[in-house]
Amino acid sequence: MKLGNLLIAGLISGSIYAVFAVCIAMWFRVSNILNLAVGDFAMLGALGTDHLVRVLHWPTAPAIVTVIVACGVGAYLYDKAILRLALDGRRRQEGIVITFFFTFALSFFIEGLAEVLFGTNIYAAPTLWQGNSLSWGGLHFERAGLLVLACAVVSGIAFTAYIRYTLSGKAVEASGESYVGASIVGIDTRRYRRNIFIMTGMLAAVFGILQSPLTGYAFNSGGTIGFTGFIAAAYAGYQKPGRAVLAGVAIGVVESLLGGYVSTQYNDTILYAILAALVLIRPSAMGLDVAVGG
Amino acid sequence: MAAIPARLRPGAPEGADRAAGEGRRRRATGLTGQLSATGVVVVAGVVVMAFWAQQYIGSVFVLALTYAVVTAGMAIQIGFSQQVAFSQSVFMGLGAYGVAVLNADAGIPSVLAMLIVTIGSGIVALLLGRIVTKAPGLALAVASLMFPLIATGYVTSANYLGGSTGMPLTGNLFPSSSISASVVGNGLIVVAVVAVVVFIGSRLLGSDLGLELYTLGVNEQAAAAMGVVTPRRKLELFVLGSMLAALGGALYAGTQLFVPATLVGVTTELSLLMMLFIGGRRSVIGAVIGAFAIQYVQGASNYISIHILLIEGVLITVILLIEPEGLAGIGLRLRQAFRRRVAPGRAAAATRRGATGTAAAGTGDATAAVTVRQDGAFATSWAAQATGGDASLLSCAGIDMAFGGLKVLSDINLALPQRGVFGLCGPNGAGKTTLLNVLGGSLQASSGTVQLAGQDITRLPAAERFRRGVSRTFQAVQLIRGRSVVDNVAVACLDSNRSSLARGIAFSHLGAARGRAFEALDYLGMGAVADVEVSSLTLERQRMVELARAVASKPRVLLLDEPASGLSEVQRAELAEVLREIGRHTCVVLVEHDLDLVASVAERIFVLAAGGIVFEGDGESFKASDVVGTLLMGRAPTA
Repeated sequence: MKLGNLLIAGLISGSIYAVFAVCIAMWFRVSNILNLAVGDFAMLGALGTDHLVRVLHWPTAPAIVTVIVACGVGAYLYDKAILRLALDGRRRQEGIVITFFFTFALSFFIEGLAEVLFGTNIYAAPTLWQGNSLSWGGLHFERAGLLVLACAVVSGIAFTAYIRYTLSGKAVEASGESYVGASIVGIDTRRYRRNIFIMTGMLAAVFGILQSPLTGYAFNSGGTIGFTGFIAAAYAGYQKPGRAVLAGVAIGVVESLLGGYVSTQYNDTILYAILAALVLIRPSAMGLDVAVGG
Repeated sequence: MAAIPARLRPGAPEGADRAAGEGRRRRATGLTGQLSATGVVVVAGVVVMAFWAQQYIGSVFVLALTYAVVTAGMAIQIGFSQQVAFSQSVFMGLGAYGVAVLNADAGIPSVLAMLIVTIGSGIVALLLGRIVTKAPGLALAVASLMFPLIATGYVTSANYLGGSTGMPLTGNLFPSSSISASVVGNGLIVVAVVAVVVFIGSRLLGSDLGLELYTLGVNEQAAAAMGVVTPRRKLELFVLGSMLAALGGALYAGTQLFVPATLVGVTTELSLLMMLFIGGRRSVIGAVIGAFAIQYVQGASNYISIHILLIEGVLITVILLIEPEGLAGIGLRLRQAFRRRVAPGRAAAATRRGATGTAAAGTGDATAAVTVRQDGAFATSWAAQATGGDASLLSCAGIDMAFGGLKVLSDINLALPQRGVFGLCGPNGAGKTTLLNVLGGSLQASSGTVQLAGQDITRLPAAERFRRGVSRTFQAVQLIRGRSVVDNVAVACLDSNRSSLARGIAFSHLGAARGRAFEALDYLGMGAVADVEVSSLTLERQRMVELARAVASKPRVLLLDEPASGLSEVQRAELAEVLREIGRHTCVVLVEHDLDLVASVAERIFVLAAGGIVFEGDGESFKASDVVGTLLMGRAPTA
């Protein structure tokens, strides 16, 4: 039973990494920008909903809808105000590192804003599927954990299908492959970049609402939790949403097994050493042999 | 458009003299800038230590300087050379904890401990770097991102390092019974170290090695093809960045007398990157400014401290939107604007010099026809270098090349003499560029041998083949954006390829390299655009710059990959003249789709199809060939 429960715990924590990895991979695919702020949208979803329900006494459903819409509007405004200037302006900024700094700054800004709005304590959105954990043959499933797992699987499948089977998905791919080339053949690269940014921001907010009952969120949790997705997405070359889900889940499971069977103190250290070794051994297989300059 | 200096116009004194003068001027200017930056650090440091050493302004000043040592290393490694590795906080921690352990546990004075840990960190970086610097591009960034995560886990669990709290020290860098003397002494030691780092760093970036490193960052393949030993440079950069990070950490420990566990980790890594990008990622002095900006902003007032995340988020965004090169870039633009107003003549010269040797002013006569100077010093010395004879210079035998299950080249055999133009034609996907890459060393053949003047060069990398006389251009123009035409050509004239970074800091020969580059540009009638920023040129001119870069080293073999692509009829005719002239001096392998051009300049033409040579002959038989007509001209085969 120990192995089973460790696997379940790993699947749940891996699902958390997976959803952020999907969001990061999808937006990188269209824009070639790494989004470090994706975890902060999750934090906004969780703390925003909690604030509306617990402090302002809103009903849960309108609170959730309002917060998700607000995250979408925030992402839209950020694209209009900042990304358009940085990426489409007279002095277009290129290169993974320099563009990464815009989302890095956005992460700082959102966390600073959340500190002002929600304070420094840890809160969580209301649990959507209430009740005791489910048990089956000695295995225990947290209800919120199952929602998290479902969210990861659905988002991974949906984005993979979107890219693979829709014309719009092909346009997303083309935008990421060549900004200029895609524009020449009539693809509105800006629109795709903006739409995916908004979509992944809103997905992260939904996920934050579902997941927060498991871990809780503080104003600065987003950066940390999003960072794990950032690492998982690396193993999908920051490109493939389906592979990002698998990578996230695999990392969670390995982490859980290391904690259960090897060392609770050094499980993360060993995990990161394994991850570093994987990148160094097969960088091209992961699509990481791309230049970072600009 | 700024006026072109008389000495850069065609018809001005001969290239070598002019180049030597230009080189001296640039060398002197570079040294002045390096000494000025160092002087500013020393004067500011001494003034702050003299008047405010024990006040808030003084303590933050010293703290910022310790970070500045780390960010200066990052400017060289990450900003300038674009080798993104997230290992600075780990080495900063190694330096800081190293000094703490040696000082608190072994009783070694902090200054001596600082030297020991810096050298020790260099050895660790050398061992680690041998593995991680083999990772290309983004892989290096991702792999090294694990290092702070691993180190955090270790440090917070290690009781002898103080666990998640940290570790105190007992001795100052400058031990004294007087607290005020210790504080001032500590500060002056840090100022001296930073001054040395700024001088060395600025000198490195302004040297011929700096040009190598810049090229490596912009385009690793082009750098290797021009003789830069990229694996070695990447390793050296990793070691240098790591040693400076360790030195910064050691200074931090010796001045703050406590090493917090949070010094190692992703948060510190990101803070350091923030300092670098806010200050100016490609400039050592910018990196120092960034460290100061962040440290002083964080403690400027209570309101700012409380809202630091919001403020830093806005600050980074605004600065990067205004100027991607950060505060240093903003400062440079303001200075140029001021000079344009006050002294327009001096401003033009200053713009050409630029902070990193970039040249933005003046477009030269960018539309003039390209004409080769057959009587110039360059042509004369190149002709004298040729050994003559019809013996085979470049040959390959039994070359096979496969990518996985896809066979691209099959049993290619060639033998080319010392001089002449030799065409290589074929339909798309025939394997022409792959064969060129195999000859140039960018790709290793699956089987078969390549020989140059009777020596086997099959396993030699591109950089070594370049040194032996194999030069090339690329199908898509691969120039170093952000640098002048002359610097783009000078990359192929560097003596620093075999030098270590340390030697490059002491002796820069960039002036001499630029001199040789001027000669090559003169040879191709391009002297007038020498100081122009390369991406502002037309495609034809960019192709000519790439050609000038390829011939600047007076190669024995010149591999040209579709040099006429994108050129007009007139420009192709000019190019044909250039190729005929170059073919008098060297062996030119010309991959080209323009069959008329190839037939008009090549004395022998090879046609490649489906990975094999299907035709070999001169221009006349090439035009008459049924195989060529069918494959390349769309003619129906004759019965």
